[in-house]
Amino acid sequence: MSLNKNMRVVIVDDYTTMLRILRNLLRQLDLNNVEEANDGDTAYHLMQKSPPDLIISDWNMAPVTGLDLLRKVRADAKLKHIPFIMVTAESKTENVIIAKQAGVSNYIVKPFNADTLRAKIASVCPAMA
Amino acid sequence: MIMSQSGNMQLPDAHGYLDRVIGELRSLEAPHKNTLVNVLEYLSDHIRVTRSEIGALKTGSGNAQMFSTTTDELEEIVTETARATNRIMDAAEVVEKVSASLEPGPANALMEAVTNIYEASAFQDITGQRITKIVRSLQSLEEKLASLANAFGPLDELATAEQQPEGDAALLNGPQLEKAAASQTDIDALFASLG
Repeated sequence: MSLNKNMRVVIVDDYTTMLRILRNLLRQLDLNNVEEANDGDTAYHLMQKSPPDLIISDWNMAPVTGLDLLRKVRADAKLKHIPFIMVTAESKTENVIIAKQAGVSNYIVKPFNADTLRAKIASVCPAMA
Repeated sequence: MIMSQSGNMQLPDAHGYLDRVIGELRSLEAPHKNTLVNVLEYLSDHIRVTRSEIGALKTGSGNAQMFSTTTDELEEIVTETARATNRIMDAAEVVEKVSASLEPGPANALMEAVTNIYEASAFQDITGQRITKIVRSLQSLEEKLASLANAFGPLDELATAEQQPEGDAALLNGPQLEKAAASQTDIDALFASLG
């Protein structure tokens, strides 16, 4: 499944190395319209200025976690429709359940590979394909 | 039980109380006192040794900073691996750019290798999170130890001198923290100054 190369993606992680990894892997998927944020709060303000087509966020961040960000996005009428992929090392069943209940679109466990990233993006962005 | 003004049990007082009980028991003419005295003496010795060990942990030379030093070392690991990962990524990005100018066969092979490098580089994020958890555990352990040491009362007089390595063993300190480490320029200057 091919992806819409013009889609705007916001990636959120407090590890700059992970942001760089994500950006590079997205570039290999021909997704170059990417904006970065180091925490949930910064990401939320970024999205309010201009809603993206896809959000890819880490969970374990402070002070606003990825789960907090997800809940804020789902409670925001302007943003609630945006696909949200959680990319995290938190792999306990309860984490996945809570994220799902909060409205996450898909869930990727770190470490992940490029194929998984591509498949999950394609699954949550069917209209973009 | 002996209590402090704040209501906490003071172990040194309790220990002294135990020793007085042992002394009074010894003076009794009871036929079976020796077994009880032996048990209480064992408890008394055990408390003394434990207090001494806690005292050494709390006040021994170098131990006062043991936890913060360990935490610094762990945080340095995170910094160093992040730095190394970024250098690896720098190199991979160069390879990725160059591969665009190659024939499809080698270009695809290089792109696959670069993707593998990007994927593998995620280890730094995982190890960083694991080390952060260890640092938090150490900080929690430090707090509990401080609380335990306080319960044991004044310990300075009990502190035993820490066994410091001597001779060649004292030279083995592992990599220094960056903030404390001499640069190669410093080393060269020192080396030259030694003639």
